[in-house]
Amino acid sequence: MTLTELLQLTTGGVVLGAMYGLIAVGYTMVYGIVQLINFAHGEIFMLGAFGALFVYAWVPALHEISLWLALPIMLAAGTVISVVAAVAAERFAYRPLRGAPRLAPLITAIGLAIVLQQLIFLYAPLRELRDDRWETTVGAKQPQLFPQLPGEALQLGGVTVQWADVLTLGFAVVAMLGLAYFVRRTRTGRAMQAAAQDPDIARLMGIDVDKIIVIAFAIGGALAAAAGLAHGLRYGQITFDMGFIAGLKAFTAAVLGGIGNVYGAMLGGIVLGVVESLAAGGLSYVDAVQQFGGGAWKDVWAFVVLILVLLIRPRGLLGERTGDRA
Amino acid sequence: MSGAGARRAIVPAPAAGRGTVARALVTAGAAVSAGSTFLPWTWTASFPGDLTVAGYPGGNQVITLVVALVMLAYCGAAYGLPGLRALAPRGATPALRALALALAVSTGYVLAAIAITLGGLVNWVPGSWVAAVAVLLTLLAALALPDDRRDAPPPAPGPRWRETLVVFAVLLGGLVLADYGLATEHTEQFIGYVLALGFAVRGLGVSGLPAVISALIARNRVATSVAALCAGLAFAVIQTSGAYTSLAANVLIFGAVALGLNIVVGLSGLLDLGYVAFLGVGAYAGALVSGSTFSRFTGTPLPFWAAVLIGIAVAVLAGVVIGAPTLRVRGDYLAIVTLGFGEIFRIVVNNLDGVSGPQLTNGPNGIPNIPDLVIFGYDFGEEHTVLGVTFGRFTNYYLLLVLVIAVMVFVFARVGDSRIGRAWVAIREDEVAAQAMGVNTFRLKLLAFALGAAMAGLAGTVQAHVTTTVTPDQYQFLSTAPPNSAFLLAAVVLGGMGTITGPLLGGALLFVIPEKLEFFEDKQLLLFGLTLILMMRLRPEGIVPNRRRQLEFHEEEIAGREGRAVAGVGA
Amino acid sequence: MALLEVEGLHVAYGKVEAVKGISLSVGAGQVVTLIGANGAGKTTTLRTISGLLGPSAGTVGFDGRPLAGVPAHEIVAMGLSHAPEGRRIFPRMTIEENLLLGAFLRRDAGVAADVKRVYDLFPVLGERRSQAAGTLSGGEQQMLAMGRALMCRPKMIMLDEPSMGLSPIVTQLIMSTIADLRSEGITILLVEQNAQAALTLADHGHVMETGRITLSGTGPDLLTNEAVRKAYLGED
Repeated sequence: MTLTELLQLTTGGVVLGAMYGLIAVGYTMVYGIVQLINFAHGEIFMLGAFGALFVYAWVPALHEISLWLALPIMLAAGTVISVVAAVAAERFAYRPLRGAPRLAPLITAIGLAIVLQQLIFLYAPLRELRDDRWETTVGAKQPQLFPQLPGEALQLGGVTVQWADVLTLGFAVVAMLGLAYFVRRTRTGRAMQAAAQDPDIARLMGIDVDKIIVIAFAIGGALAAAAGLAHGLRYGQITFDMGFIAGLKAFTAAVLGGIGNVYGAMLGGIVLGVVESLAAGGLSYVDAVQQFGGGAWKDVWAFVVLILVLLIRPRGLLGERTGDRA
Repeated sequence: MSGAGARRAIVPAPAAGRGTVARALVTAGAAVSAGSTFLPWTWTASFPGDLTVAGYPGGNQVITLVVALVMLAYCGAAYGLPGLRALAPRGATPALRALALALAVSTGYVLAAIAITLGGLVNWVPGSWVAAVAVLLTLLAALALPDDRRDAPPPAPGPRWRETLVVFAVLLGGLVLADYGLATEHTEQFIGYVLALGFAVRGLGVSGLPAVISALIARNRVATSVAALCAGLAFAVIQTSGAYTSLAANVLIFGAVALGLNIVVGLSGLLDLGYVAFLGVGAYAGALVSGSTFSRFTGTPLPFWAAVLIGIAVAVLAGVVIGAPTLRVRGDYLAIVTLGFGEIFRIVVNNLDGVSGPQLTNGPNGIPNIPDLVIFGYDFGEEHTVLGVTFGRFTNYYLLLVLVIAVMVFVFARVGDSRIGRAWVAIREDEVAAQAMGVNTFRLKLLAFALGAAMAGLAGTVQAHVTTTVTPDQYQFLSTAPPNSAFLLAAVVLGGMGTITGPLLGGALLFVIPEKLEFFEDKQLLLFGLTLILMMRLRPEGIVPNRRRQLEFHEEEIAGREGRAVAGVGA
Repeated sequence: MALLEVEGLHVAYGKVEAVKGISLSVGAGQVVTLIGANGAGKTTTLRTISGLLGPSAGTVGFDGRPLAGVPAHEIVAMGLSHAPEGRRIFPRMTIEENLLLGAFLRRDAGVAADVKRVYDLFPVLGERRSQAAGTLSGGEQQMLAMGRALMCRPKMIMLDEPSMGLSPIVTQLIMSTIADLRSEGITILLVEQNAQAALTLADHGHVMETGRITLSGTGPDLLTNEAVRKAYLGED
């Protein structure tokens, strides 16, 4: 394997990881405050991608302009649907169960994930270009084609970088800078930290913890929507069940980075993405294990990473929490 | 709940003699309803179940008849007839109301279905009108009954032989009901059955009968176990249709796996979201040594006991590899690791096809042509006739599965009642406290996890032979076909965590309902998801609640309301 | 009209009733103390007043307004502050950040001056202002918890066992600070197991036993009451 190939694999891994990281922030923020694994978060990511596709499909004006110009509108639409879904889930499914035994919200989350997937599968209002004509279909029963960014891929010293990759990294950078500002510098950010450390006492400080929880869900939803758009642009198609594996990976990233830590989520995502990419790509260069390289095994390696992290450093890379809070 | 306030009728009626009139009307209504089932309800046989025959009930009429007869028995209880009073230890009125509702809803459903599917009320014949008026009258009269709820002292234990007989009668009755539901021939009949059963069970519930029966069962555990086993075996005798025995065998596989999962989730509180993978591990292990020509290890099959041991061993090994790193850390991580494991199992099995990886499992094609079991010369693939009763292929497997479940129930009950079982409950309720009491929580959690894996591995080795083919896609987190991890979890949670009957019942419902209601079609999963959400809101302890669990969920606990606005206090 | 009025308050954890109908009132500028053994329901009472728990019956009124249905964070905004049992400072934030969170609801310019005032009250906090609060000793954490509760400029402050687990010297410091606060006109509801210290400070005291108030009186009255001396002051 040449150095260029190694760099190519690493770059791909970083981009993939940035996408995981964007989703992982939602898991980690919500977990940090309410100790809930929001299994439906993968579906929030999926909804973001579909929201972007809906607006593109149904607003013909967007087909006339460059996709770059349509992007902000698509992102906005995806964000709206993701945030609304995430906040509604919190309000109507999770909040009534706060204080119930731990299994109840987890199972609700699973039910919710199934419902969101099936709603898109059965009822998504779609328009597809078939033989130069836009045709309306209901339900995303087939993979849906996603519009592609125009322009040649960039060549950076032999490494090929797609424009969608650049965009993904851009989203990740903006998101992390924004989050850092939010957590450190804003009143709400400080309130969120307080609520994560001790929700009862945060209330005694005058913090409306319910509102903080809604904000955590909303931020997670918005970042997941950005990841969803990035996913569509990068892979060219989206499916109703794309949130399942992506959500699993993103949760792995959140654990890897140290659950509850938003920077850890992004770091964990990138580490996971790079490991996955190098394992899949790298192993195919080694004769003895050549068979275990390639895309078919990459999910397996991501899982092995998760198990290893739990064995070696259960707190995660940036984990600070020392024990369970009762 | 006695006292003047509780003694109110829902439908107002003249106060004097109200009870007498209403009671007489209910009895008459139920009797006429029963009688109406001997008349035709429609003129054409094109409505499913042929309701055109005069002289005996058919199709949905049977359901109406049975409910009406049960109602008549409760009317007897309301009149204080000596033998029947025991049916309603806590008062007959609530039971009569719920039963009247069962009668009205299930009968009304059929009559409405006749009018709608055949196009209008002209399709009603005099018999339909009689039935409609009778059930409506019964319902109204039942609502006018005065409340006679009372606190019931637990009945004194009767002689042993009588209690044993009652236990047998109850379980055989349950068997007949289950058999009827399984063998319903068309959707209308099944819906009528479910409606009637649902309301009737509720009705009997408020009458206080189940409490008496469960006390009875608790007193006579040996008799109950024997009776349950007999009922399970008797099904094979009374049900001979191949389609239904196949369904029953699959229900049992599903139920067995759900029971295994219940050790993990229900007893020790560990959320396993990839449980079906252990079933898959067992099934693949069984398939590989089954002698299938498509297995890598063709040739003579290993004896069944050896295959079972291998299936269990491999499943336990997988369980320990997954569990050991995960169970040391925060409980929630287990959910995600097992979810990942379930997915990874499928991917690995898919990849071990000789192209993407070493050849072991034939990848997506799976291992077909798994031969039937032969145990002590008894070929499960052949028909056998014993004492004039013919056992087909699925009946053979059904009988084997009844034994497998019996073993599992035995293990479950013994372990649940042991020192280990109590330690699991302690871990489930408060892990830190359990640790402080000197419980080695990690080892016990691992034990629960491994025992659960072993159960699934055992079920898997049998399943491989029943389905004759194992493919990776049979073992997913979610699909429309049970068993899959989400359905298994739902069977446990909806049925009742930590109980034996809960997962078996939940499993049966989750398997049979989609099978029977074809009109769900592709909306099945959507409804499944909604059911999970609603159950967690409305009845988180499941259909058959474990007493301890019910306390956990239904404490109007302050912790649950903590820090939230709590309105309406003295304001 | 008293500042805080509690009338017939019942609080239950599941089926277990922890507070079984207590009534008390705290007038503006008063120090009222609630003494009693572990598990008497003192902490539950405070948590219910501040909205962390919901009562099963009874009313709480503060500053003339009923608190039924008012969430905890709005009760703070009304000027009722609560320094909880076991300090419960935010361990991974600095001392200064903890104090600023205490002033979370305030948007006026006086916050910095109030932080300084807390540092004047407890100089040790000022010296360690950018240290993580989790590294402080028990006594210092108690000072921080009190300082934090003062940051919202409350009309009334509820202190839950401020002397718990502290050395006699530190206890004395905390108690003299409470006396200072009282002289500044802050209304105080003090829950204590250290009955001697609490009653010495208090205008009025209540003795709580298994969820009920069994004895009430002025501080000096209770101090000389024989039953109290026997049960809570360790005399025979």
